[in-house]
Amino acid sequence: METDHIRNFCIIAHIDHGKTTLSDRLLARTGTITEREMQDQLLDSMDLERERGITIKAHPVTMVYRARNGETYELNLIDTPGHVDFTYEVSRSLAACEGALLIVDAAQGVEAQTVANLHLAAKQNLEIIPVINKIDLPHANVEQTKAQLEDILAIPAENAILASAKEGIGIDEILEAIVQRIPPPKPTGAPSLQALVFDSYFDTFKGVVNHVRMFNGALERGLEVMLLHSGKSLEVKEVGSFNPKPYEREQLGVGETGYFTANIKSPLDVKMGDTLTDARHPSPQLHGFQEIHPMVFSGIYPINTADYEHLKTNLAKLQLNDSAFVYQAETSVALGFGFRCGFLGLLHLEIVQERLRREYGMDIIATYPSVVYRVQMTDGTVKEIDNPAFLPEPNFINQIEEPMVRAYIICPNEYIGDMLNLLTEKRGTVLNTETLDTRRVMMTSRVPLNEIVIDFHDRIKSLTRGYGSMDYEPDGLQVSDMVKLDILVNSEPVDAFSCIVHREKAEGRGRALAARLRDVIPRQQFAVPIQAAIGGKIIARETVRAFRKDVTAKCYGGDITRKRKLLEKQKEGKKRMKSIGAVNIPQEAFIEVLKA
Amino acid sequence: MEPAVSSLYVHVPFCVRKCRYCAFVSEAADGAKMDRYAAAVARELGALDGGRRLETIYVGGGTPVLLESRHWDRLVEALDRKGMIPAAEWTVEGNPGAMDLAKARRLRALGINRVSLGVQSLDDDVLAGLGRIHRAADARRAFDDLRRAGFENVNIDLMFGVPGQTLEGWRRTLEEVLTWGSEHLACYEVIYEEDTPLFRDRAAGRIREDEDLACDMYDLLLDRAGAAGLSQYEVANWARGGGAGEFPGRACRHNINYWRGGSYYGAGPAACSHVGGVRRRNHRSLERYCAALERGEQAMEEVDALEPLARAGEIAAFGLRLTSGWPYDLFRQATGYDLRTEWRTELEQIERLGYGKREADRFRLNPAGLRMADWVAEQMLRS
Repeated sequence: METDHIRNFCIIAHIDHGKTTLSDRLLARTGTITEREMQDQLLDSMDLERERGITIKAHPVTMVYRARNGETYELNLIDTPGHVDFTYEVSRSLAACEGALLIVDAAQGVEAQTVANLHLAAKQNLEIIPVINKIDLPHANVEQTKAQLEDILAIPAENAILASAKEGIGIDEILEAIVQRIPPPKPTGAPSLQALVFDSYFDTFKGVVNHVRMFNGALERGLEVMLLHSGKSLEVKEVGSFNPKPYEREQLGVGETGYFTANIKSPLDVKMGDTLTDARHPSPQLHGFQEIHPMVFSGIYPINTADYEHLKTNLAKLQLNDSAFVYQAETSVALGFGFRCGFLGLLHLEIVQERLRREYGMDIIATYPSVVYRVQMTDGTVKEIDNPAFLPEPNFINQIEEPMVRAYIICPNEYIGDMLNLLTEKRGTVLNTETLDTRRVMMTSRVPLNEIVIDFHDRIKSLTRGYGSMDYEPDGLQVSDMVKLDILVNSEPVDAFSCIVHREKAEGRGRALAARLRDVIPRQQFAVPIQAAIGGKIIARETVRAFRKDVTAKCYGGDITRKRKLLEKQKEGKKRMKSIGAVNIPQEAFIEVLKA
Repeated sequence: MEPAVSSLYVHVPFCVRKCRYCAFVSEAADGAKMDRYAAAVARELGALDGGRRLETIYVGGGTPVLLESRHWDRLVEALDRKGMIPAAEWTVEGNPGAMDLAKARRLRALGINRVSLGVQSLDDDVLAGLGRIHRAADARRAFDDLRRAGFENVNIDLMFGVPGQTLEGWRRTLEEVLTWGSEHLACYEVIYEEDTPLFRDRAAGRIREDEDLACDMYDLLLDRAGAAGLSQYEVANWARGGGAGEFPGRACRHNINYWRGGSYYGAGPAACSHVGGVRRRNHRSLERYCAALERGEQAMEEVDALEPLARAGEIAAFGLRLTSGWPYDLFRQATGYDLRTEWRTELEQIERLGYGKREADRFRLNPAGLRMADWVAEQMLRS
């Protein structure tokens, strides 16, 4: 296809504003899928994605569209993950586009994720086509949404297309706008092939299938190519596009989007965001490559030590389709052999854990998540610490820097006070407050990542009865007075419960943790003390009472089998707990700790 | 060689009304159903290896005394034909709400020599809360009737830890019952079995367990039963009589056989048997049970065959509920395993926690250990 008849775009939206429905509509209207397939596709996603209303993984899709001017265009829809944790992946996808559809729900108005995504798109200089969706809803308020576009996002309201993806309203206008407003790709002028690798998935037969956006030159089978960042050379085995199933093509030309394979065995061999070029006449790197840095780390351990190899295999399987997930072997005093895992954010962490539990049927324990601290030692060296167990003794530490985020919080006016209290509690500072409309404000704030890792989003939701929303982006480091909080169960430190906290919050957190554990650690044959300690000093103590009795009496009519089976079931239940010292700790305790 | 089976359990699945804590199989009493039931039991008994008098028979339920004379005659006739009676200990469970002097006399006349009377409590509010059909006055009268009918071996069943029951109420029940001078006392803490109204009440938060109160009640029981001259021989069982053996003279030999891993036949719906090292259970459904026997088939629904070591673990677990524990030689006879070597780790752990002791001839739990008998049992089980 001629470059000027190609358009590359993505759709950005807050959760539930209708991104998936609109994507499906566009595919159906261009004849890429049938109406019937559209229904099927809605149902065809991971349980987790459906439950949480987010898209974790999707392919770029190539559509052929005959415009009103009679000409035929190739439209490439490049999907973006729908959650803050995947910001880096979003920006990578955005880098493959010239334009973006910005969807805003006419009933809900602009939300935090709308703002954050728009900022990302603006950084890439994308042409923004605002779409006001769900105009068919009874509470749709188009005028107010338009005002928000202008006031908050500085987008001219007259550019907005009114639509209802569900009812099929405005779909043709959107397709025309894509053709007319989004600029066609331009060759970069580099001497040879330049393609951006922006995603990948694993295929059992073909190996790693890489999603690419062509910027310069042509990509075809048999070509010797090179990945500029990693320096690896490869021979291209297959090129193609998606419609939405993969289909092989002769070549991919300037501006096109598709995939290539090259017998790559491990997704780790290809860094997302890397530039693919001709191995013999390399071109310079495309703008915007960033190494992915996991933001949150947690240890994952099998409950049953015999499952270690099994866990290792399953982590490797997960990584095949999730190159942002990293792991390496580690050992814990309390938990034995396991893996230190890095995630883009807490949702990413939860997704991986849930998939291990549900899809792979594994009994696992995850340790308290930690962010990455930059520790300046007294000898002048600098250490990056993502595991509380490795935090050096205080007398060797000069200072600790913690990662910060810039958080956008949108909430109804009446909850401003609650939000300010929450931000104070979370050691955050408000940088700016803007009025969105007569009902809502947007607060821009700077908060330590450590504070929002666990329950910040949930707290906002519950404080605002579901009306508040939040999104964030990384915002550098800040020197903070951090200490390591240890939890001792039956006088043994359980490293899985350790965390690094701000000194002022350590005592409160220690108390809360100990109290929570007292409630979730089942009683044993002896009293179990639970202590919280900072640097050897006990700051809180709780006790799990010993059983006074554990006996039920009757053996009805000699039914020993029934009674034995009940006992076996109890015994089995205890086996699924982690035995630390002499104490059995259930999986829930490790999960509850996160909520304390 | 497998010793001959010398115990029989007969299950009678009929009740006037189901109690709120009971998960056992029961059906409304109905003449025609009972006729069919009695015929089926007679058939089942007819198929057993006979020719030998049984040591113990236990007719439980349900409410066995709801059976009419003709049903009892049927049962006795079948047992007699097999040469199984008279048995040394023949117990029938009696519900105070369904027992009267005439019935007691008829039972006694059949050769039944022991009645286990389900008194449960002498507090009418507690009885009502349990869904029992009788009141305290019925229990007092029923006990008198049994004595007048000539029963010299009577067990009283009591329950404690019942929702709504107070320590004071429990004390009153206990003290009064102990003045009756029954030969045997069985006291069970209420159990929350799945699929019972009581279980649902607890799940819904309408009632809650009070562990401390239940423990206080058990302490009181230990104190008063001992003072009244009863000897504890199992977690929940007390009996009179010295005797030269391991157990008090009036201990229930039928139940001791269960705990010691002995063999027994089972007849009736849901009845369990343990023969040749295999545990079996009959169909729970009365309809299926009867239909199977009418077709000339066995009424078995579940077979629980275990590896020898697993069976031995089970037998070890249940035997430790007895205050006299497991004599090593008896355990070896019952299972073929050596308790001290095979369960060494477990026994050491139990000792370390102060729950029991390896004595020269046996391992037994002490009073602290008896309160943890389920936990101990979990340790002993082998899968």
